[in-house]
Amino acid sequence: MIDVSAFNDALGIMFTSVGSWGWIVPGLIVGLVFSAIPGISITMAMAIVLPMSLYMDFFSAIVFLTSVYTGAGFGGSVPAILMNIPGSPSSFATTFDGYAMSQKGEHNEALGYALFASTLCGIAGYVLLLLVIEPLADIVLRIGPVEMFAVAIWGMMLLGSLGSTYISRGLLAAALGILLGTVGMNTAGFTRGTLGLPVLLDGIAPIPAMIGLLAASQLLSLASRDYIIEAEGSREVSLRKILKGCWGTLKYPGVLLRGSIIGIIIGAVPGVGSSIGNLIAYAETKRTAKDSATFGKGNPKGVIAAESAVASGEGGSMATMLALGIPGGGATAILIAAFMMHNIVPGPSFIETQKPMVYAIILNNIVQAIVLLAVGIGFIYVASNIMKVRTRYVLPAILVIATLGTFAVTGEAAGPITLFVFALLGYALNRYQYPVSAVVVGILLGRMLETEFLRSYQLSGGNPLYVLERPGAMAIFAVMFISLAMTAWGKRKQNRAEAAEALAMRQIQEETRAAHTTPSKG
Amino acid sequence: MTHFTRRDVFKISAGGVAVASGMVAMPSILRAATYPSRPINVIVPFATGGYNDRLSRAFMPYLEQELGQPLVIVNKPGAGTQLGNSYALNQPADGYSILCTSAAPYIPLTVLLQNAPYKVEDFSMINLPSRDYTLAATSSGGPVQTFAEVLEKLKKDPSSLSIGVQPASADYANMVLAFQAAGIDASKLRIVTYDGGGPARNATAGAQVDVGFVGGEGFLPLKSKVRPLAIFAAEKVDWYPDAPLIGATLKTDFVEGSQRGWAVSTKLKNEQPEIFKILVAAVEKASKNPKAIETLKLQELATTWYGPDASNKAYLDNAAKMAKYVDLLK
Repeated sequence: MIDVSAFNDALGIMFTSVGSWGWIVPGLIVGLVFSAIPGISITMAMAIVLPMSLYMDFFSAIVFLTSVYTGAGFGGSVPAILMNIPGSPSSFATTFDGYAMSQKGEHNEALGYALFASTLCGIAGYVLLLLVIEPLADIVLRIGPVEMFAVAIWGMMLLGSLGSTYISRGLLAAALGILLGTVGMNTAGFTRGTLGLPVLLDGIAPIPAMIGLLAASQLLSLASRDYIIEAEGSREVSLRKILKGCWGTLKYPGVLLRGSIIGIIIGAVPGVGSSIGNLIAYAETKRTAKDSATFGKGNPKGVIAAESAVASGEGGSMATMLALGIPGGGATAILIAAFMMHNIVPGPSFIETQKPMVYAIILNNIVQAIVLLAVGIGFIYVASNIMKVRTRYVLPAILVIATLGTFAVTGEAAGPITLFVFALLGYALNRYQYPVSAVVVGILLGRMLETEFLRSYQLSGGNPLYVLERPGAMAIFAVMFISLAMTAWGKRKQNRAEAAEALAMRQIQEETRAAHTTPSKG
Repeated sequence: MTHFTRRDVFKISAGGVAVASGMVAMPSILRAATYPSRPINVIVPFATGGYNDRLSRAFMPYLEQELGQPLVIVNKPGAGTQLGNSYALNQPADGYSILCTSAAPYIPLTVLLQNAPYKVEDFSMINLPSRDYTLAATSSGGPVQTFAEVLEKLKKDPSSLSIGVQPASADYANMVLAFQAAGIDASKLRIVTYDGGGPARNATAGAQVDVGFVGGEGFLPLKSKVRPLAIFAAEKVDWYPDAPLIGATLKTDFVEGSQRGWAVSTKLKNEQPEIFKILVAAVEKASKNPKAIETLKLQELATTWYGPDASNKAYLDNAAKMAKYVDLLK
């Protein structure tokens, strides 16, 4: 639990280093802008600014970098909602309902929902972190391959909620995605599907691949229009509507809570990163919602669920980093480097000896989330004006920026080439009505599925009963099956009711028809 | 307004050609005399934030001071350093690209296992200050107390303990060599593979595997969460003094772990010996700078000066041993 005297010292650090607060706003803006550019992930945004932070003092550097992290957590959802192109993999699930809302002319509200969900759950994540940082870290370290495999399977269940016209094509597309996700050298050192190209040894870069798949289909469909939204009246940018969306978020506390819990736990697990939490939170929210049929057609709950998991995952990831010195994902790996470059090694001894500093970092992140609210509204307001620009100017600009984004970070042609190849694939998939999003889910989860399954197999020596020794894994599977069974039961009841209703309707129809036809025949 | 006659133009252009051809044909001594005249790229074949990246950034100001030119860090991660190594060899051998890398075991491994398009001898070491060793460890709360206990248990039943290790690494070779020496049936072991030292360390500290074989240096921040069982080094390791040496429990051959530091292409060393000398002198001076030693020590980074000959020998020895045991790695 919280250590009161350390907490007071932390407040002291916060207020004696007021100068470092000045880095919050620039950090947030850098994070927002970079992650809103398709092709640049949160990790890359932080890698770009890391060398800059070397010239600041320790607390300022950490404030700046964590602000970039906080801003980047939200920035990706802006292109996701406005254009159906996720700025980074963690905002993939935001596209499902966010873009549908903006097509209905509700982009202002959608961005408001996303921003508020992001801020609230960001704060929730850090408050929880303040209370349970040490026990959480110990639990996280105990999560093994079997548990992770269960989580990956859970993520795959999102496929069921993507909804495509043909089930067979959906499954085939997912299988293709998983296959693509396993390209490269696997955890046991075997190399598959690299075509002899050294750049593919680490696998297909997920970000250019995802942007290629999604952007190609999306940009081509936009090219036939004059503006992103066709109805002229809907293209307005309204502060009132953004605020209405913000306010509306509070109507769904259950969605926020579920998203936060999923986000924190998945974010805290080392090596998973933020791109899976949003998928699971979305799928769970959709499956348990009464109005699940409207998901994917512009249900604000979809946006809230996805964004809440991304924002709270940040807190979880920071917990693992501070308490154990282990990166939860790419972004916290950069943060650890920044700590070490300032001669501080995060980990168990850091948290024991420097608790006030740990609390000060967490408190500062809460402040950042609050500041994000103001900066984010401004950012949304400016970014939404893209709706008023003709697509003939927007599309080429986005293509160029996305290509540059995939090139800039490594300076290798591999990024743009991946983008191009996957754009062609995306076009072909779309042309023959295979769901592109199923391929993306496969690419994002394929490697994790394979790695964790392989490790579970190695650990158990091939004995499936090993799962009985892992209560954590059993609990995850149990929750998953119960939740599935309950949905199936609910669906069955609903179907029966509908069938009965349809039967009754048909009977009435037949009776009336009978009443009409018999006399005319005679 | 100046008027150029045709003759003037000829004179000027002839002069230009003469200067240009002079520059092309300029002997290496002359080029070395002006070296370095522009910023130098430091190629790090790992992502931002890894050991080599931190080493290069922390060491940068002191090396800049000696060379009198700014350094630019270029991260080229991927394919177990193969992409960065190839990139480095493709740069002109003019001293404006140097490497900061885990030379051993990554360069030999990419050559032996990935058919990398270069040879081990294509790289020449300036100094490899950081020497890592494989550490066999268990979670601090785990039941196993000593390495002898591990061997005894595995001899009785090879599947009694699970083992975490990174495949195709020095750690893997050491694990196999130790078990061979102890007469343990390797085919029945429960070996769990991790694609990197970090995940293998987490699995060890979290007791997901019973024993982990991983580079010891990375364990330092997690020291309180693990119990060291045996370190694969010949002499006591100064950064992990409480780790028992493998030799105390078992007589076995072993491979040294990562050797990290500064390198250039052998082409540069042979064709531009003067420039190579300047680089060696600069790295030596910077490594011996007390301020550099103090700063890097705080970040748990090494500055020990071994020099090009000793570093090259250590690197080539490691490569030879890797080649000898390459069948164990496949």
